Amino acid sequence: MPTPRFTFHQPQNLEQALDLVGMYRTNGKILAGGTDLVPKLRAGLMDVHHVVSLNRVPGLNRITFHEDDGLVIGAGARLADVALNPEVMKHYPGLAHACSVMATTQIRNMGTVAGNIVNSAPSADTAAPLLAYKAAVILVERGGRRHVPLTEFFSGPGLNVMEPMEIMEAIRVPSPPRRSGSAYLRLSARSKVDIAAVGVAGFLALDMDGVIIEARLALAAVAPTPLRCPEAEAMLAGQKPDPQLLTRAAAACVRACRPIDDVRATAAYRRKMVQVLAGRVIEQCYQTAERGDA
Amino acid sequence: MNHPSIIGASIPRLDGRAKVTGRAIYTDDIKAPGMLFGALLRSPIPHGRIKRIDVSKARALAGVKDVIVGADTPQIKYGNWRLVPASQDELPLAVDKVRFVGDEVAAVAAVSSDIAQRALELIEVEYEELPAIYSVEEATAEGAPLIHEESQGNVSLVRKIEYGDLEEWFAKADLILEDEFKVHAVSHAYLEPCSSLAVPDEGGRVTLYTSTQTPYIVQCLLAHTLGIPENYVRVMKTQVGGGFGGKMELRPWEFSASFMALRTGLPVKFTLNRAEELSYGRRRHPMSIYSKVGFSKDGKLLAKDFQVMLDGGAYNAMGPTATFLCGTFGNMLYNFPAYRYYGRHVYTNKPPASAMRGFGAPQAAFANETQLNLAAEKLGIDPIEIRLINAMQTGDVIPDVATVSSCGFKECLEKVREISGWDAKRQAKTPNKGLGVGCFSFISGGVFNWFDTKYNFSAAEVKVFDDGTAQLASMACDIGQGTDTVLRQILAAELGISIEKIRLIAMDTAATPKADLGSWGSRVTLMNGNAVIQAARKIKDMLVPVLFSQFDLNQIHDVAFEGDEVFVKANPKKRMSFAECVYKALRGRRGEPLSAYGYYTPRDKGLVSPAFSFGAQVAEVSVDEDTGLVTVDQMYTAHDCGVAINKMAVEGQLEGAIQMGLGYTLSEQFVMREGHTLNNTFLDYKMPTAEDMPPSVYAEVETYEPEGPFGAKEAGEGLAIPTAPAIAHGVFEATGFRCRKLPITPERLLRGMGKLR
Repeated sequence: MPTPRFTFHQPQNLEQALDLVGMYRTNGKILAGGTDLVPKLRAGLMDVHHVVSLNRVPGLNRITFHEDDGLVIGAGARLADVALNPEVMKHYPGLAHACSVMATTQIRNMGTVAGNIVNSAPSADTAAPLLAYKAAVILVERGGRRHVPLTEFFSGPGLNVMEPMEIMEAIRVPSPPRRSGSAYLRLSARSKVDIAAVGVAGFLALDMDGVIIEARLALAAVAPTPLRCPEAEAMLAGQKPDPQLLTRAAAACVRACRPIDDVRATAAYRRKMVQVLAGRVIEQCYQTAERGDA
Repeated sequence: MNHPSIIGASIPRLDGRAKVTGRAIYTDDIKAPGMLFGALLRSPIPHGRIKRIDVSKARALAGVKDVIVGADTPQIKYGNWRLVPASQDELPLAVDKVRFVGDEVAAVAAVSSDIAQRALELIEVEYEELPAIYSVEEATAEGAPLIHEESQGNVSLVRKIEYGDLEEWFAKADLILEDEFKVHAVSHAYLEPCSSLAVPDEGGRVTLYTSTQTPYIVQCLLAHTLGIPENYVRVMKTQVGGGFGGKMELRPWEFSASFMALRTGLPVKFTLNRAEELSYGRRRHPMSIYSKVGFSKDGKLLAKDFQVMLDGGAYNAMGPTATFLCGTFGNMLYNFPAYRYYGRHVYTNKPPASAMRGFGAPQAAFANETQLNLAAEKLGIDPIEIRLINAMQTGDVIPDVATVSSCGFKECLEKVREISGWDAKRQAKTPNKGLGVGCFSFISGGVFNWFDTKYNFSAAEVKVFDDGTAQLASMACDIGQGTDTVLRQILAAELGISIEKIRLIAMDTAATPKADLGSWGSRVTLMNGNAVIQAARKIKDMLVPVLFSQFDLNQIHDVAFEGDEVFVKANPKKRMSFAECVYKALRGRRGEPLSAYGYYTPRDKGLVSPAFSFGAQVAEVSVDEDTGLVTVDQMYTAHDCGVAINKMAVEGQLEGAIQMGLGYTLSEQFVMREGHTLNNTFLDYKMPTAEDMPPSVYAEVETYEPEGPFGAKEAGEGLAIPTAPAIAHGVFEATGFRCRKLPITPERLLRGMGKLR
């Protein structure tokens, strides 16, 4: 494959970046960590003449948390920084876990959470926990800014609702209530340093009697996009978990997924693993939630 | 035995610092003035006839200096088995047929790698597709299309071994087991992809820098295919980032670089990328194995009928050797009276399989060791005990093969039982955990001269100088296993000088003595080590007279070489420095330099190998019974490599072997569809990483091998053998599922446990 040739732009602020992205909307690409983009360019998978880096735009890499507003992850925040952020570890353990186990050390040091979402791989590790946390993304363009709930963001493998002149500025995640718990579990053929073959994230909020007020479950790598499991969530809401309910909810997750056979696993194995991991995730969420103040 | 202290020392690699700091020079790092960049056009179909090739557009592209197809070349077939010319079935570039996806069809040399790539896209090839075959069962079926017209039903080679009366011994058996096993292909996955740079020399000669483990074989076969004298080719091995058997043949890019360098008068370089390596590179042989064994009720192995079909892919490559050795590994570990081996090497339309660490042994051992565990279970005998009952011992004869001159197998079994806490852990029986055992034996180099060399198998030239230094020239090949260090240790020990004083010239077929068959079959330490010792002894013979005349010694005295000094053994006060001794000898020779050659060829050592290593390994595994994920918690190994020359290097071999064994057993495999490899990145080719490595403890059982240098034998490949059967056995103990097929993926395990339909 011949080496791709392109012009590399390093805007100094968001306005410049938006101008460039607007100008090159037909043959330009945005680079944050570059861990997905660069391999694709090298493989000649895209016809790109301009690459616009966000790395010199100040403030984009911030990670902030307020009890009232929740978490804001700037588009430039690296996976490794999110993984080790004390607030993320405390309030969003599923996301912290996803950011700490996905890919490799080198990729985690360069790659960003926003990039992982924009890349929109069905197997995106951060997508499942962010879906379970009811995250939304902030998209900006020259003269406009919109919030898109993550549930409405993905439209297919590698596809999403972003317009060519838009930049993802940040990801917003609401603050979790007290007595809630969350988790993310993933599975792959190699025990470490690997892409997920199946990923399941969960979030449970309980009332004082231990009854589930709200449940959210999300799956990765088992459908054309990461997705939520409304049927299972509805099944759990208003209930106290018991082994039977767990099994039924996990089975409902299996009904939500649409896996394929590929080089990483067969559809049959993926379905079975959704069942196993969903059960474990719900249980883990419940246990942390019961412990109280998370 | 009393060794010089440098034998058995843990000396860090002399090349280690340059490698870890990125300063070591590999072939792709070399840039020659005016160098062209090569690229290969490969077949996109698994099997077909080439109807037409048009390279005119590629040739016309600005910056393209040469384009070649098969018809432009001398069209001389080659293969490593020169002894059997009919086995030489490969052409550097396809002429009439392509036989696998990736078969090389044309080559381009251009002023930049981008232009070379673009030129490939301009070459038009018209194929007539032929039906393709992907398994040995299809290939050997009645009426299967022939991949090579001259083969007998796609079988390229048959190997039979038979001794003892099989029927009679099976009739005596109390337990007979019949099992089928299937093992798969894996990649050598050496870190350095293949790279070759050919530089034209005066008079139609060529110098080839290449990433190889067999410079001499490349030299001979390259000259042959180019149609020029052998010594018009000079092969320079640079630093090599691993081989594991995948770099031991002449390869099309070596030919194409040299051929185009001679045509254009300019240097030409080819460097493969990882996707090419994983898609089209050599692999370990998949095998379909049938094995029938008979045991007496007290656990004595009586008879074995071992039938193997090797899936060789499109060409023989090193398949014939693997076919021979697989049979030999079927009876190397245990002593039993009746054995029959029937091995067939079969063509399929897949990338050729070839030598890979263990050379037929990991496959044979997976079947043999698993069957032994089955027998142990059926007979109610402890799996280690049943091995002790049958274990090979020093002095045992492997019929028609060799007499085992040193063997610490029983000691290894006892030792591994002890360090793994085998008895206590088996009694305790923790749910979802299991302890498994696997054993190995391996050759220390081969005896069978399939390359048909007229030279010695190994050679060394030693020179000593009056500054107290020495120079060792050898064609032996350090491809990362550490022989550059080990050979210097051996020379340092023999001459009694410090290792830092030895310069090594080891990469140049024009400047080192002929010959060396290369780094494969765990041969270098034993064979080249012996050559080094012989040369060193000749040097000492030149130096000893200096002491005799200096000190006017009585005939009965002997001289010692130690600590950079030379002295009279019985009277160490009579001494001089090594440097002074060389100086005086040089004076006495009126300036003629002190140099000597040493050689080694195994003679009167049977047909297989001059020496055999042994060992036993225990794997402690945990299984997640819901997901089917297997975790290896701990490895225990006890092995007999004779006297370890460099303990640190041996430990490195063990760690690397466990990493390879882990991948072979649990996660590595090629996902193929209609001849295409779908997982050609390390993202999807699941090789274990450093983070996946289990902790490992080991014990060395030291024996003294009389045929080895300072008592040493092999420590490289054997260790790669026991891991798969050991882990598989551990998985059985944890789950009750006996896997007869590799790899043990989570999915296969869940299906085996009846948890997934």
